[in-house]
Formats: sequence, structure tokens, C-alpha cells
Amino acid sequence: MRSTWPLPFYIDPSVGTDGASSTAEYNLYDALIRIDFDGKTIPWVASKWNSSVDGMTYDFWIKKGIKFHDGHEMNAEDIAWSMTRFITLGTGRAYVLTPFVQNAIARNATVVRFTLKSTFGPFVSALNTFYILNKDLMMQHLKAGGQYGTMGDYGKEWLTVNDAGSGAYKVKKFNMAEKLVMEKHKDYFGGFNAMSPDIVEMIGTTEAMTVRTMLANKELEISDNWQSMENLKEIKKIPGVSIAASMDVSGGWYLMLDVKKAPLDDVHVRRALAYCFDYDQLTTTLFPDTVQMVGPVNTRLPGFNPDVFQFHRDITKAKAELALSKYATNITKYKISLHWCAEVPDEEKGSMLFMTNAAEIGIDVESVKTPWTSMVQEASSLETKPHIMYISAAAAYPEAGSLLINRYHSKQALTWWQNEALLNTTLDTAMEDALKTVDYNTRMAKYKAIQKDIVNICPSIFMFQAISYRAFPDYVTVPYVKYGKFEKTGSLGNVYSYQGSGGMEFRLFEVNRLVTYAG
Amino acid sequence: MYIGRRLVLSVFVLLGLSIFIFTLSRVIPGDPARLSLGPMAPQWAVDQLRERLHLNEPLPVQYVIWLTNAIHGDFGESIVTKRPVILDVITFFPASLELVLLSTIVSTVLAIVIGAISGRRANSWFDNAFRLFSYIGIAVPTFVWAIMALFLFGYVWKILPTMGQLSTNIAPPPTITGMMGLDALLTGNITAFLDHFRYMLMPAFAMSIGRIAQEARILRSGFIENLKKDYITAEVSYGIPERSITFKYLMKPSLIPMISILGMDIAASMGGSFIIETIFNWPGFGRYGMWAMLNKDLNAIIAVVVIIGAFFAISNIVVDLIIASVDPRIRMMERGA
Repeated sequence: MRSTWPLPFYIDPSVGTDGASSTAEYNLYDALIRIDFDGKTIPWVASKWNSSVDGMTYDFWIKKGIKFHDGHEMNAEDIAWSMTRFITLGTGRAYVLTPFVQNAIARNATVVRFTLKSTFGPFVSALNTFYILNKDLMMQHLKAGGQYGTMGDYGKEWLTVNDAGSGAYKVKKFNMAEKLVMEKHKDYFGGFNAMSPDIVEMIGTTEAMTVRTMLANKELEISDNWQSMENLKEIKKIPGVSIAASMDVSGGWYLMLDVKKAPLDDVHVRRALAYCFDYDQLTTTLFPDTVQMVGPVNTRLPGFNPDVFQFHRDITKAKAELALSKYATNITKYKISLHWCAEVPDEEKGSMLFMTNAAEIGIDVESVKTPWTSMVQEASSLETKPHIMYISAAAAYPEAGSLLINRYHSKQALTWWQNEALLNTTLDTAMEDALKTVDYNTRMAKYKAIQKDIVNICPSIFMFQAISYRAFPDYVTVPYVKYGKFEKTGSLGNVYSYQGSGGMEFRLFEVNRLVTYAG
Repeated sequence: MYIGRRLVLSVFVLLGLSIFIFTLSRVIPGDPARLSLGPMAPQWAVDQLRERLHLNEPLPVQYVIWLTNAIHGDFGESIVTKRPVILDVITFFPASLELVLLSTIVSTVLAIVIGAISGRRANSWFDNAFRLFSYIGIAVPTFVWAIMALFLFGYVWKILPTMGQLSTNIAPPPTITGMMGLDALLTGNITAFLDHFRYMLMPAFAMSIGRIAQEARILRSGFIENLKKDYITAEVSYGIPERSITFKYLMKPSLIPMISILGMDIAASMGGSFIIETIFNWPGFGRYGMWAMLNKDLNAIIAVVVIIGAFFAISNIVVDLIIASVDPRIRMMERGA
């Protein structure tokens, strides 16, 4: 099965966090738990777990007979070592766990204990991207002289093109500037669909003409999700090729308003902008089939509050809000800069729409195309941050708290996650309290209350939840189509929502065509 | 002695180039440590990496550290690939070199044939057609040729593969030089060689169009210029056959300016290969260099620029040697010097 992806991507679970890397890691490795199709946390490598009453220690029991790709059987020591590596390196998605995990030890061959520094209610679901490495194999490939003492480089160099996992697929070959080739791990404990591919290629290209040609020549079984609407419309005309979308179930697109910078330091100005924006045109014309966000959290995330106020375009109300602000008489003196990411050309469309809408109520917005590296740098200082940043953000684990804490807690105030610079200690305390709450239902209720408070402050324009269209030939059955929940018929194909890996779990694909691979 | 002199001069050029690009790369906005570790990495990890990369040292100190390591073949670690830059160079450079060599062979042979005919038959229908082609060939950017080739040969006619290096049903040859075609030949795997050659055709063709147009034009001009010379008139009046005049007496002096340009074209092809490699998913050095620039991968940026600079210097030395072998006047001048 051949698929296209943007380059570069990484297969070290402590490095990559982008979509391609996450997909590769998900298929090469296993985690203690998994998120099922409905968004629930289920046991995976672990058969069960329990926690202490105070939520400071967690014990996980490991299933027997899980084999790594080299045949070695997984045990608790592999998990303890992997967690130690994960939090020591501190890169990739480790930021989710490093503030909370003190250490991990193997109590015996089948039980691993995690001790936390402080209570972390979502700890179990936050393990969804903590992948387990083969300790013995890694120890053979440590590079001496690295910065981690006796652990050398912790195997980072070796893991750039090799894997130490137990996942459904293993690395056959990885040329970082071309493609990753994976083959089935025949002893995989999770099993395979009957027609699942024996070999999977993640090919590093998203070039429109290349993808279209490959689909037409039956040289591609599923495209990447970076194709433009124009190219997808052309692809749709190819006989024997279908298109379907998966809905983003973890994040959304925001216009992040710097609440410390005039005139956005006035909540009435922010609300005026929220009222003047044409969400309908955004979600039907500019980004067809997307869904307007309802508050700061994705509608599919556990803990989402469906009762928060949702802004809709209303110029009358926008002007009324502006009239209440302290800048009512001199708003035209301010030029508001909106920085959008140069590497995502589609953002210009949303930016221009916002600029046009703001002009209707007399607010001057300047749309500025900015390279991503500059946006990251600008966000690090109150002085250099622009008025507005146009960025998408997603949860790291399937709970509203993951998105809330990254988007609105003060510790993120000088990062690209939060151009708003809220620096609101009341909200900080509420979010910290929610994350410390061990009881699930109580925690969800707290998330919902926080969302209400955030919407009242109106620090962001909550734009839309994206969808990802992919094209595939008729002989391919895609997991998010087969197992996902049908949402609606889009302009190019059906739209489905699917939790877990985003529908790119290769062992669940069905490819009803024989392609000879001799590599 | 000539080669020695040129090599010594090249070292100074490369030093200057490295200082320039080293300084420039540190002026570009963005913290390389933060970019490498990602926006969510803890500050202590970023600070630690900054220390390891010596980013807190003064710029001259950073340069001296880099130069000392580079002399020993250690270009540091790439923040994009997360491994030593020298490994990346060994992996990606041969793939680009292979494409550049094939496009050079194609463009040189065709430029000589077309330029000679055009020069010898100035103002004929062939010459007029070639001159039109040369304007288009030089004006149209390489990526346009690449996309057109992809569209025609890959999409419409389906006669050539669209991307990659080898068909899935053919086992790749073992890596010896890193150039898959050469490795296939060295291991006697003709099937893999021929299949790989098919994959090279489109990218090499796209790379060579502009060069054919330019080099053939220069050769044509050389022919027209030398045709006016007295010695040619004398040879014609002696009854020397046209073929001998063309290939023995006209070709050599006319080739010299074309060969000079050839050296620059080869180096330019290496530097500008990223767009071809991106379109055809060719795992080459140009693409790697583009990642380095976009991600502010300081170590990789300097390595890429210095290596392409060295390639430029070496290719020009080789070209000068070829010119010296073609033109005896230059050999005599060197001996006199």
C-alpha cells in the first residue's frame, strides 16, 4: 500500500509530533492504552491498571506474549526504560508527561509502576502517545559520548532510520528524503484485517501533479491530506478513485487575539470582531465542509461544553459592542496586524475574509504573511507578538483539558500556542485544579465551566474544525470510512469522524489488489 | 603546479564562503534550538541544546569551533534529520550527483550536435527553429519543464514513472557509491540499472533543457565567429572536405566558450536541483538543503553551501583542464608562466 505524506517526518517516538510522524509511530509502536473508535480509553499493551487513592501512583499489568519486532517478549522493564527515556529527552510529546511523571519502575516482569510528582487526572489517557521501546535492542545501539552519560545519545541516531517497536508494522527501509517502507510484523498481538497490506510505503511527496498522476496510474493507494480543493476536484474526475474526509476530532483553527495589546485589550473590541466575522462564508466557501467551532474546544473532545455561547455574524451587534469600548471614537487610529503562516497558503483566504469583515465596522486589519520560524520567534516576547495570529492547535490527549491548558494557561503565554497572553491567574488555578481532579465526571464538569469563562473573555475567534480529504482507489477500504461515524455528505465526498489514530492504522486497511514488491 | 595553484585558491574561496554563510545563517530569525526540539520542549532542554550547539558563544568563537570540527569531517548534527550531517551528506549527495551527471551528459551531447548544425547552417530552417527553442528553453524555469514532462510522459502518455528511483517489483542494488545506477552496474544488475534509468530520464531531461539551449547557442556563436576566420576560408579554398573542417578545425576553438559555461552549469544544476528533487521525490542533496534553510538547521546549511561551493570549485578546475587540453595556446601560456 502506497501513501503520500509531507516530508520530513520522524519515526523516533520522542521526536515527531506532526501528522506523518504520528502515523508512522502509531503503526511501528504500541502504547499501554489506546483510544477506540468512540474516543474511549481502552487497554492495549496493558490488560488493566489501577491507581492509588491520591492518584500519585499507577500500576499497569502487561499482557503476556507481546513480541517486539526482533522476537523479544515485552516486559515491564521495557516500559519503565521507555518512560525514563521519554521524560529524560523531554522532546516530542513528552511535554504532556514530564511535568507530572517522577519515575517508572518495573515491580516485576509484568507490572510497571508510575509515580507522579503531582496528581494528574488525565494520566491514563495521556499515555496514548507514550510508546514502548525494546530496551535490549536500544541498549545495543546507544552511541557513546552523548549527553546522557552512560546512556550515550539514548539511541537517538539509530532510531532516526530504525525502529525498536512491537507495532503492527516494522521498518524495512527508511530514506528520510524519499520514503519509509514498512512490512508486517507477523507476530503482532493485535491481528490484521484480512486484506491488510503486507508492505506499506509512506512516500514523501505532496506535489499536486505527482499525486494526481500516481492515482490515475494506480500507483497510489491513499493520498495525503494536504491536497488543495482544486486538485481534489480534478482527482475526483479520475475513474475508479473516491474521496472521503475525516473530521478533526482534537483541535481547531483560531485567530488568537493578544489581549494585552491595544485595541484588543478591550473585551468589547474583541467581541465586535467575533460578531463581524463571516463564519458561514468561512465554512462553506473558503473551507467547504468544515464546521464552525463552538467555543475553545473541539466538539468531539471529551469535556466539550455544548452550551457555551457561539458567535455568529451580526454586524449590528458588532457595532454595538464597539460602541461600548473605550476605543469607540478613535478605533480607526489603530492598525491591527494579523500574522498568518506563509507555509500554509490557505490561511491567506481566511485572513483576507477577516480583514474585509473587520473593515465593515471600521477596524483596520493588516494581513501579514509570516514564515513559521518567525511566528515562533515573535510569539516569545510581549513586544514582538502581533495583534492576531492565525494558527491551528490540537489536543495531545483526548480530553478538553489538554487543549485548554496549552491554549490558555499562563505557562504557554509566550509560545506560539497562545498569542492571547491571557495571564489570568483565576483561569490558571481553575485549569490546574481540573487537571488534578482524579474523578472523570468531576473533571469533565470543571472543563465545561472553564470553557464558559473563556468564551466570556473572548480572547480568540473560534474559527473552524478542519476536515482532511484523502483520495483512494476503489479497491482500497479506508478505516475511517469503514469504522468511523458518518457525519455528512461533503462537497467532494462523505465526511466521517474517527477517534484514535485518525483512521490511518494500516493494519485495518483493506487493499483488494496485488502489487508485487521486491525491495 | 596549475592544479595546485587552483586548489589553494579554492580553499581560500571556500573559507570565505563558509564565513559568509555562517554569519548569514545566524542572522536569520528563529532559535535553532527551539526549532529543533519543538515549541513544547521544556526550556531547560532548549538551554541545554543551545549550550551543545555553542549558540551562546560569540560568533567568531562559534566559527572557530565549527571550522576545527569540519576539518575533521564533523559538521555537527542536523536538527532536521537528528543525526550527524556527514551521514546525511553521504546519503543524499550521490543521488543528486547522479542526476547532475546524467543531465550533463545529455545536455553536452545534444548541445554539441544542435549547436554545430545550427552554427554550420546559420539562418537555415533548422537554425531558426533552434533559436526559437533556445529563447523558450532559457526563459522558461526548470520547474515548468519538470511539471510539463510529468504531465505528458507520466499522466497523459504514461510511458515514464512519475517519482522515486526504482519500481516496487525490482530489488534495489546494494549501496556502494550511493548512486543507484552505478551501484546496479557495479553489481551486474542490469534490470535494476535499466529500470532506474527510466526513473532518471524525466528529472534529468527537465534539468538539461535550459542548459542545452544556452550551451548550444554559445557553440553556435563560436561556429559563426570562427567561420569568418581566414584559416577557414583558406581550408575551404584548399578543398578540404566540409566534415573535416567542421569537426577538426571549427569544433575545437568553438567549444572553448561552451566548455567554460559547462563548468558553471554543472555547479548551478547541483545547487538548483531541489525543485526537481521535490517534484520527482528524488532523495537528493538539493532537497536536503532546502529543509536545512527552511528549518534554520545551521549545521546543515553551512555543510550544504560549503560542499556545493567545493563542487563548484572542483568542476571549474576540471573544466579548465579540459580547456587546456583542447586549446594548446593555453598549455603554452602556462608553460611560459
